[in-house]
Amino acid sequence: MAEVLIKHLVKRFGKVEAVRDVSLRVADGEFLVLLGPSGCGKSTILRVVAGLEDADAGEIVIGERLVNFVDPVKRNVAMVFQNYALYPHMTVAKNIAFPLQIAKKPKAEIEAAVRRAAGILGLDDLLERLPGQLSGGQRQRVALARAIVREPHAFLMDEPLSNLDAQLRIQTRLELIQLHAQLGITTMYVTHDQVEAMTMGHRIAVMNHGVLQQIGTPQDVYRRPANVFVATFLGAPPMNMIDGALESVGGGWRFRGVDADVPLSPEVLSPPELRHEIEARGEVKLGLRPEHIRVGPPGHDGGIPGRVEFIEPVGSDIYLTVEAGGTTVQVRTDPDSPLRPGDNVTLMFDPWRVHVFGADGHNLRRDAPAVGSTLVQAAAAG
Amino acid sequence: MAVESARLGPASGDERHADYAQAARRRRTLDLGKGIAAYTVLTLFAVIAVGPFLYLLSPSLRHSYDLFTFPPQWLPKSLYLGNFGAVLHQTSYVRWGINTLVFATSVTLLTLAIDTLAGYAFARMHFPGRGILFGLVVATLMIPTAAIVAPLYIIVSHLPSWTHAGVNTYPGMILPMVCSPLGVFMMRQFMSTLPEGLVEAARLDGASELQIFRKVVLPLMKPAVVVLGIFTFMMQWVNFLWPLAITTTDSMKTLTVGIASLQGQFVTNWGLISAAAVMTMGPIIVVFLIFQRWFVQASMAGALKQ
Amino acid sequence: MSAITGETAWDELSLSPEEYRRASARYRQRRSVTGYLFLLPYFLPFLVFLVVPVFWSLWLSFNQGGILDRARFVGFRNWQEIGSDSQLTISIENTAKYVVAAIFLVFTLALFLALILNRYRRGSNVFKLALYVPLLAPAVLVGLIWQFVANYDFGLINLILTTIGVGRVNIFGNGTLALLTIVLAEVWRGLGFWTLYFLASLQNIPEELLDAARVDGARGIQRFRRVTIPLLRPMLLFAIVIAIIANFQVFDTVYVLTQGGPYESTSTMVWFIWERLFQFQQTGQGYAAAVILLGIILFLTALSFWLLGSRRRRRRSALA
Repeated sequence: MAEVLIKHLVKRFGKVEAVRDVSLRVADGEFLVLLGPSGCGKSTILRVVAGLEDADAGEIVIGERLVNFVDPVKRNVAMVFQNYALYPHMTVAKNIAFPLQIAKKPKAEIEAAVRRAAGILGLDDLLERLPGQLSGGQRQRVALARAIVREPHAFLMDEPLSNLDAQLRIQTRLELIQLHAQLGITTMYVTHDQVEAMTMGHRIAVMNHGVLQQIGTPQDVYRRPANVFVATFLGAPPMNMIDGALESVGGGWRFRGVDADVPLSPEVLSPPELRHEIEARGEVKLGLRPEHIRVGPPGHDGGIPGRVEFIEPVGSDIYLTVEAGGTTVQVRTDPDSPLRPGDNVTLMFDPWRVHVFGADGHNLRRDAPAVGSTLVQAAAAG
Repeated sequence: MAVESARLGPASGDERHADYAQAARRRRTLDLGKGIAAYTVLTLFAVIAVGPFLYLLSPSLRHSYDLFTFPPQWLPKSLYLGNFGAVLHQTSYVRWGINTLVFATSVTLLTLAIDTLAGYAFARMHFPGRGILFGLVVATLMIPTAAIVAPLYIIVSHLPSWTHAGVNTYPGMILPMVCSPLGVFMMRQFMSTLPEGLVEAARLDGASELQIFRKVVLPLMKPAVVVLGIFTFMMQWVNFLWPLAITTTDSMKTLTVGIASLQGQFVTNWGLISAAAVMTMGPIIVVFLIFQRWFVQASMAGALKQ
Repeated sequence: MSAITGETAWDELSLSPEEYRRASARYRQRRSVTGYLFLLPYFLPFLVFLVVPVFWSLWLSFNQGGILDRARFVGFRNWQEIGSDSQLTISIENTAKYVVAAIFLVFTLALFLALILNRYRRGSNVFKLALYVPLLAPAVLVGLIWQFVANYDFGLINLILTTIGVGRVNIFGNGTLALLTIVLAEVWRGLGFWTLYFLASLQNIPEELLDAARVDGARGIQRFRRVTIPLLRPMLLFAIVIAIIANFQVFDTVYVLTQGGPYESTSTMVWFIWERLFQFQQTGQGYAAAVILLGIILFLTALSFWLLGSRRRRRRSALA
């Protein structure tokens, strides 16, 4: 068990910078999720930590030991690959035993360890089978068993659930959570699926284009996104963005967009501090999550007028697509709503639910965190 | 009414059906004819391919005075096995056979060993100059033996004595044939198809490169290795120019060189010569029939190489 | 370091850039060494028996002797001899004639047979095996067998000719016929391989394309011309180059059947080299001829790579 430190990591592939000055700290026993779209650098970070790639700059520390120039096996980390990487010509038992055999452990010890790992993952009946005879879920468990058996300081998981079908994914997700609770091994988990991230991680590190966007608990990242990217990446349907500008009126701020003129609560934007910054930045975006918007009759004060374009009933809710504020807005509403396409409505919301993003994408809310490595301190403090 | 129906053509369904049936029958005879022609052609070429070998059986089983009867007949009047005995006793055939076996087997085993190692290095290991070195190997793919046979002879005859190599020696014969670029090329291509994750997982599990090579990569390469092995063995079994150049004494010649020399020595003893040919082809054909799957694969590999 | 509290931030680097660079270089070196070690067993013989001889061959072309005695440097004398001696030109001509005839013949027949085998698959295995057998025979055996076919006294051909009353022909006495015999012998031998090669290529053509063509109304020959041939072309091209390079080195059959005769009419390049090096002791000429052979083959190889590359380039631009 150990903590993993990634200090100012830079990794380039040719001319492309896959990872740009990323610093992360994974606490001992923590389950950290690296979340982001493909190509954002999350897998690269994992591979550098494992030792499968070399860092161009920056340091990796595992358990207080600098491991940049240490062979992968000596780093004492175990990796679970997306396509399991099981040795096809060896039985399940041999697959699990392989790392111990390489380490020349005594046979009795190997057998005991294999049985223990197989037991934890429910593989006792499959020990003599070949990987080719197993289902996807079973293969995943063998890969996990092989990782566990080494009793590593840290687990590195690279999108392990991507190759499973939806049903199996949900089941295996729960099993992984239980496994982590049982073993308590520090884990770095890479995924592009935000549901996995939200349900599994202690903290989520959101990445895009090789830059760490934000790191925090799932609630932090969802409720107080640091920028437009994080705000729209988490949440489905994504947060709505309405273009406009801020105007200072009578000691408070008002948001003005196409057909939109709404007051902003002082809890959201603190007038004196931000005045100059906002004026310097120019255009802003108003961010509203679909579940925070209520639909009211047209002509209501304090909201944004709009017209319903599409209705998508999904059983538990109805998703409305509304033309408002010069753009399309997704609203989640009551499944019994009587609205029809073409109806005029007013979109209403609690003023303190609103996010305001500056021209550079930054969240201007008072309680939004800053972007970058200082987030770790913010998270630790907050 | 009758006038109109005549203008419209055959109106009855029965007549139309008859037309179709006739056309179908014609097409079927045509297909049958094509099929017969095709199989005739195939049989013809098959006979042309295999015939001469069967034809060889005849003189090999005859005594020399019995060889050229007129009109010629394939079946000998009486079976005479003396030719085969003559081959074994009057020539160094046995010696040649042993030499060829040693030669072909050694070259094959050595080639497999070094080609798999090099193929793995090129496919899955990282080191500076990997691309250039592989390019060098590919560039030498087509170098004809004839162009370098003279320097090879000189080099082999001047190798230090601890190698036990020289003209008319086994090592001298074997060593220059061991570095065929084709094997490395094939091995690298095949190893590149193995999933990268396997090797990485093994690295993380702590295996050294040699261990990865032995325990993970090699077991998965069995079909390719077998194909390369058979291919190499075949090529060296029929190798002519190099053994011809490097062996001057009868006792060191390989089968190909030896049989060619029979022509000079036993110039009119066709019985003996054809017996030697039968003795050489016989086992080859038997081995071929047993391992036919791999032989065909070996040549298909050439087709799919691109 | 924080000036106020004197603590180090957790994300401060512990190595200086200089230390980092050195440690990194050492780490990478350690891994490269293993790579080179894996290559060593191959590259050692490779250098000694392949690379060095190529350059040595070039050097030898300016020498004479060296096989049984020491080599003597003679400058350009070999090249002058070669230039004035028409034998080499004849050999190159013979080789070229042989290559053209052999490849044309074997490819036509192989393609023909492959098409038949592709269409009539039942029992095709037997035919494939039968065609394969001549391939297994060492060239010397092929030579011996064709002795039986072309021999003046008892050969099959003369047998047939006498039976139909035309009278015997001294095949090995006539330059053109002798060369033709070599061509036929090698075609007979190689037919199996190339038939299988073309068969594999044909089977690579997706059935749907031919079906689509049939639905579009194309008849057999049209389908062949407009669908099969264009799709076969890259493999055909590759095959032609490989075949040229391989056939340019024909030797074994010549050695056994004609020994270059009559009067050098079947002397091929490799036969020329062989004669000069190991029989006539005119090593100088042999060395020079070897270099010329090397040059021709390398040129053909480069041509094939260029052709393959340009096809890929042309296809890429066509798709762009």
